[in-house]
Amino acid sequence: MNPVSTLKTFEDIDCEFPKSLQSALELMADEKTRGQPLAGGTDLMVQWESGVIPIPDRAISVKNIPELREIRENGSNVIIGGSVTHMELRQSPIVRRWLPSLAEAAATIGGFQIQIMGTIAGNVANASPAADLAPSLLITDGTVLLASVEGEREVKLTELWTGYRKIDRRPEELIVSFNLPKLLDDYFESWRKLGPRKAQAISKVMGSSRGRISNGVVESFKVALGSVAPTAIRFFELEQWITGKPYSKETLQEAEQRSAALINPISDIRSTAEYRKWVSGKLVRCFLENLAGRSNK
Amino acid sequence: MNMAATTEVRERVKLVGLGVPRLDADEKVRGKAEYADDLNIPGAWHGFVVRSPIPHGRIISLTLDPGYDWTKVVVVTPEDIPGNNIVDMMGRDMPFIAHDEIRYLGEPIALVAAPTRKLARESAAHIHADIEELPPLLSLGELVDQYKKDRSSLHELSAQTIRKGDIDRALREADIVIEGEYRAGHQEQLYIEPQGMAAIPGEDGSIFIHGSMQCPYYINPELCETLDLPAEKIRVKQSAVGGAFGGKEEFPTLLAGYCALLAIKCKRPVKIIFDRHQDILYSTKRHPVWTRYRTGLKKDGTINGMKVDFLLDGGAYTTLSPVVMYRGILHSAMGYRCDNVFVDGHVYRTNTFPNGAFRGFGAPQAIWGLESHIDDLAKACGMAPHEFRLKNALKEGDTTPTGGVLRYSVGSQDVLAKTIEKSRFGEKLQNGSRGNPHEKKWYGIGMSFFAHGAGFTGDGEARIKAKVALDLEQNEEGRPVVNVRVSSTEMGQGTFTILPQIVADALSIDLDYVRCPYPDTLYVPDSGPTVASRTAMVVGNTVHGAAKKMKVQLEEYVSNEIMNAGDVYLADGQFRGPYETGRISFHEAGMRYLENNGPMRVYNQFSLPDYIHWNQKTFEGDAYPAYSWGCNVAEVEIDPLTLELNVLKVTATYDIGKVLNPVLAMGQIQGGLVQALGYAVMEKIEIVDGKFDASRMQTYVIPTTLDIPEFDLDFVEFPYEFANPGAKGVGEIPMDGLAPAIANAVEQAAGVRLRELPMIPENLFAALHETETYKI
Ligand SMILES: Cc1cc2nc3c(=O)[nH]c(=O)nc-3n(C[C@H](O)[C@H](O)[C@H](O)COP(=O)(O)OP(=O)(O)OC[C@H]3O[C@@H](n4cnc5c(N)ncnc54)[C@H](O)[C@@H]3O)c2cc1C
Repeated sequence: MNPVSTLKTFEDIDCEFPKSLQSALELMADEKTRGQPLAGGTDLMVQWESGVIPIPDRAISVKNIPELREIRENGSNVIIGGSVTHMELRQSPIVRRWLPSLAEAAATIGGFQIQIMGTIAGNVANASPAADLAPSLLITDGTVLLASVEGEREVKLTELWTGYRKIDRRPEELIVSFNLPKLLDDYFESWRKLGPRKAQAISKVMGSSRGRISNGVVESFKVALGSVAPTAIRFFELEQWITGKPYSKETLQEAEQRSAALINPISDIRSTAEYRKWVSGKLVRCFLENLAGRSNK
Repeated sequence: MNMAATTEVRERVKLVGLGVPRLDADEKVRGKAEYADDLNIPGAWHGFVVRSPIPHGRIISLTLDPGYDWTKVVVVTPEDIPGNNIVDMMGRDMPFIAHDEIRYLGEPIALVAAPTRKLARESAAHIHADIEELPPLLSLGELVDQYKKDRSSLHELSAQTIRKGDIDRALREADIVIEGEYRAGHQEQLYIEPQGMAAIPGEDGSIFIHGSMQCPYYINPELCETLDLPAEKIRVKQSAVGGAFGGKEEFPTLLAGYCALLAIKCKRPVKIIFDRHQDILYSTKRHPVWTRYRTGLKKDGTINGMKVDFLLDGGAYTTLSPVVMYRGILHSAMGYRCDNVFVDGHVYRTNTFPNGAFRGFGAPQAIWGLESHIDDLAKACGMAPHEFRLKNALKEGDTTPTGGVLRYSVGSQDVLAKTIEKSRFGEKLQNGSRGNPHEKKWYGIGMSFFAHGAGFTGDGEARIKAKVALDLEQNEEGRPVVNVRVSSTEMGQGTFTILPQIVADALSIDLDYVRCPYPDTLYVPDSGPTVASRTAMVVGNTVHGAAKKMKVQLEEYVSNEIMNAGDVYLADGQFRGPYETGRISFHEAGMRYLENNGPMRVYNQFSLPDYIHWNQKTFEGDAYPAYSWGCNVAEVEIDPLTLELNVLKVTATYDIGKVLNPVLAMGQIQGGLVQALGYAVMEKIEIVDGKFDASRMQTYVIPTTLDIPEFDLDFVEFPYEFANPGAKGVGEIPMDGLAPAIANAVEQAAGVRLRELPMIPENLFAALHETETYKI
């Protein structure tokens, strides 16, 4: 009944502030010096305080490691360091030009304070199904780069989340960066978040899409939703089905129904299973309608 | 004699009616105000409440872990209570510390205090209760089901009826009978400052309670029996309060009791400061409500009779629930002409935290159902919502459901007419989408009209007889000041500004000569609790009377001791005699008085007009000395794709009597409307496994600035003639009418009526999918 976890306080945490990725990885390599990676702390501090996860003995601050702070173009991809903040994402001309739904999603996270502290790696590694950046990352078919003193490892974003609050990261690894294919010409993205209020809202359902409609035919359509399953998910089956279909009332209707049928959401404090299922179909319809509205048919 | 004959006397501008800045603004903006957790109490230990982990059961034994070092902490169990283990509120059914039956999850089973908060919490984890579990009753839903089936199985905490006319005949003779049921869940006050209290034991066995509270004089009598102390030995002082909304009306007695019991045992000060999570889990909320209406109508829209069931979920103990229910039933058929009204009010026990006071105190719960129902009535006889209300609204000379006569100060017709006109209600009503599948956005407009009884319900004011004092004293700088001595509290609403405005006007002096010190029962008489929108009207009137008395005494003093003249009068801050002999300022006369006589204290006491009659048994007569009136129009937009509800605009007019300070009054209206918006469309908290689910700000969702609609707000002034300067009360009425106005707008927009708060998309989804026309 009485939370025993509160007996330890934040001051009891031994926190390291490594200046380079190499020294951070060295600390992570040894079990004795390893600590919980700490970026903006906007997820961790809430969870520590509420006892959701125990306050650790050690933490490694990754927020100011230079290698984790960059946003740059690399040919047809954009590289985003793990410690890039939501505020940087929403303001970066590169992100806004090439990954517009990621920029839009970042702009809906928390309020300014949270956007200034919270990071992309934190949002991803916290692995909440309600992480607002997840759908926009998923629709790029990009990868995440993980590193340890042993070397680097590239994981597909679509394979990163392995379950509710779980990611494919080894204890000694840190997230270094995200490698995200740019939005191609004549492709468009959409983002929409449904929350209980207009700001400072954890999503009930949210999602992103990327695609192209040309000559009245859906040439490509990638869509991912969050808060409707244990992890944010891509709707691969729907994508396959719809590719090559004419954009029509019937297609929209069926896409809506198929999308809803693909998921089996839960009822929780934020919403009901029935509403989530239904509105997921509506969001997919809305994304297709947006795409059609912007494509030159 | 230094007569200020030469100084130019400017004509004084009246302060009542002006938007003078809050007198407490400076200390709050500069961070100087001391809230409960800021109080520097040397040697204070931290208290912590050990609570039941289950909602219903019987304690078999309580064990202190024998392996734990108990020498560093103090534990209080029922055996340590000096007096009776009873919280002496309206019912005497609640123990301070449970000793036998556990009636809600979180009920105290022991108290601990330790030098640090950490140690207090740690030691609490080493106290174990062996509890035999009993089946709990946890929700309003279960309560209502049971009420409909067989109410004898429910534990009734309180009941009251209103009987006017002959309801059976009225329904029999009606052309149309319309029924409707409405519900709403808990609402959390979510004041900025969580609950906090300290108890400091005195050498002489007395106890000093200092902390965050609305009603200092609730605490002394309610603790006497438990602490086995006479009231004089319990001193209570209010610290700065960061919002209360009713949440600090009766609950602080519990916290004060826990602190006092611990302080007595460990012989040192003890404080308990809740964090937000504890505060939401273990403090009072608005009572969940269920109402059922059966109304008989004539074809022309006349209301023949109204039969109402009004049921509140009281939580585990009686506390203040009876009065909340009284106010609820008194507002459940109020506002419209009707000769036959039957209301049955009930409060039943559930195994949840006792529900309590929250802005509106039963009225918002009642008006939510009533004003939704009124739209259904209008529809049933083919009238527009505003036409039906204009036809039936009470006006001067009409009688209320309890047979009270609306004698004067009745702004009902004006608030209606003005709001309807300003919002262009009739015209915009035509634009309602009514769930049209071809529209990209659904638009709807809806209204509500309501009264709010000003002051205590029933015989409350007659019993309390608010007492106030004014002290003419020297302040620290040696200036003469008038200290307003009332137990009324400032909690952000502006009391400590409007009372000085009234006093300054009555004495015709500048505002910086008048102050409201924090109430301390050592110095202030009992002007009653700061609740029921009563302070501006009742206490305002009583300090006004006190100031008039002080004026007479000062005039006599100046006449006899300074001017040696007959009639001396004080005006524009100057005493003047009958001849042009000169003038003397308030400042100077005050100084002279203080030097020669010491401080001056005048008392005054509130009394109701003779013609106010009330029968507390039968609920007949004048339920309130006066009513404030309001009308709300809400315009909404719904996205048919997601069913997200956007409240676009609220147009509202209020008659709160004389508007003492338009800036503060408008602040009350705006803030109250935002709180009402939260109640209407987003605030949701439920009991899961016996425990409140949305127990953090992360999950308990209140409106942000972005959620606030456009406001078009106005007052019409119908001063309350009996009580100078004529205020009727503004604190609660903004909470009353927004939810039904929005529900009525949603009905116009989506074509379905929502009968449960909050009106979240999930509920609209469920309601729409029950209809024929709307399918997935
Ligand atoms: C008031 C408030 C509002 C919020 N609103 C939203 C919202 O609207 N939408 C939303 O999605 N989220 C929201 N959040 C959650 C949170 O802000 C975001 O998820 C944020 O992106 C987390 O980033 P961080 O840097 O603060 O992570 P931290 O709390 O520092 O870390 C989170 C997790 O990531 C791990 N981690 C961090 N960096 C690395 C790394 N480089 N390598 C490996 N592991 C790493 C940590 O160990 C931890 O497990 C909100 C939080 C608060 C407090």
